[in-house]
Amino acid sequence: MIPYFKKMAGGGQRPPKVNLSEVFWSWLGAFLGITPVAYLNYNLLSGNDFVYIIGSFGASAVLVYGAVRSPLAQPRNLIGGHLLSAFVGVACWQLFHPFPWFAAAFSVATAIALMHVTQTLHPPGGATALIAVIGSEKIHELGFWYMLVPVGIGVGIMLIVALAINNMASRRKYPEFWF
Amino acid sequence: MNFSRINECFQTITDEDVLEAMREIPGYLDITPSDFIEVYRIAFDHAVNRIKTAILAEHVMTRTVVSVLEDAPLLETAVQMRDHDISGMPVLNEQGAVTGVISEKDFLSRMTEKKDPSFMQVLIQCMDDSCCLARSLKTLKVRDIMSSPPVTVHKSFKLLDVANLMDRRKINRVPVCEDHNILVGIIARSDLVQAMC
Repeated sequence: MIPYFKKMAGGGQRPPKVNLSEVFWSWLGAFLGITPVAYLNYNLLSGNDFVYIIGSFGASAVLVYGAVRSPLAQPRNLIGGHLLSAFVGVACWQLFHPFPWFAAAFSVATAIALMHVTQTLHPPGGATALIAVIGSEKIHELGFWYMLVPVGIGVGIMLIVALAINNMASRRKYPEFWF
Repeated sequence: MNFSRINECFQTITDEDVLEAMREIPGYLDITPSDFIEVYRIAFDHAVNRIKTAILAEHVMTRTVVSVLEDAPLLETAVQMRDHDISGMPVLNEQGAVTGVISEKDFLSRMTEKKDPSFMQVLIQCMDDSCCLARSLKTLKVRDIMSSPPVTVHKSFKLLDVANLMDRRKINRVPVCEDHNILVGIIARSDLVQAMC
């Protein structure tokens, strides 16, 4: 048991802090990326739906504007992760909607597994799958169109902004790889 | 030659080295220093193994080899080893094929009946006896005391295999041959060390 608890002590070192220039570019990218996505979704969705979906894109913003070298932030992961998770979420709702609690858990777990298998792991994808289940009737009525609007369009906008902004910084490069 | 120890020497990268490197690389790196060290060490092992198997005997061998013929007198051979400051050399037949190896150890073996002869062993025996132990060697030829059959390697042997062979057979040098055991070079332990560094 002792080695088990020893693992919880950590003991490793955290990565170093980034410089102010990096902070600036992360802020600018996130601001310019989320603004159009938020504006679009604000007009399309309402109430909790808007809160949920913007939460998922906010998480993506951390990666694609704040950790641009991360494998999780690359276009393959950003696009693939969101779209596959959206598909899984919609499918889970349609299959298991009499048991929303089960559909919620099953969608997130399956989305993670699918992202792993397809090498498209993107943490906000879990939220995208979940939203397809816990969202309002308006979300459910979209069916698989949910993959295109709001998810696909939002991802597309964020990717275009990431390409434009991240490559303006002299010491940044995005993406590391496409597919 | 112990490869694992050499590898350890190269693997002294510290957490501080990694943190310093991460500071120099712009942007947030989504990896912890310990993850980086783990990746580095495994990658390093792969690289070392690749290098060990990519280098062949012919790449590191010394091509100008001091050698001796089987029927050369031992006195002449000892003089040759002294003049070239070497502790052993390949023994060749008339066709240039390696038929044995002669080293200080072979001389010592003939000068004492003890197993695993050493210079000190011979010295002790010399001090006990009144006569010179080397005198009995004066009339002998190289073939009388050489180690045969010789341990040799083909020039296409991988360096890793050469090192393992020398380690296993506890020898300090190995003649490198091409087909039909024709001598083309020699590899000493020092050559292995240089090749790995």
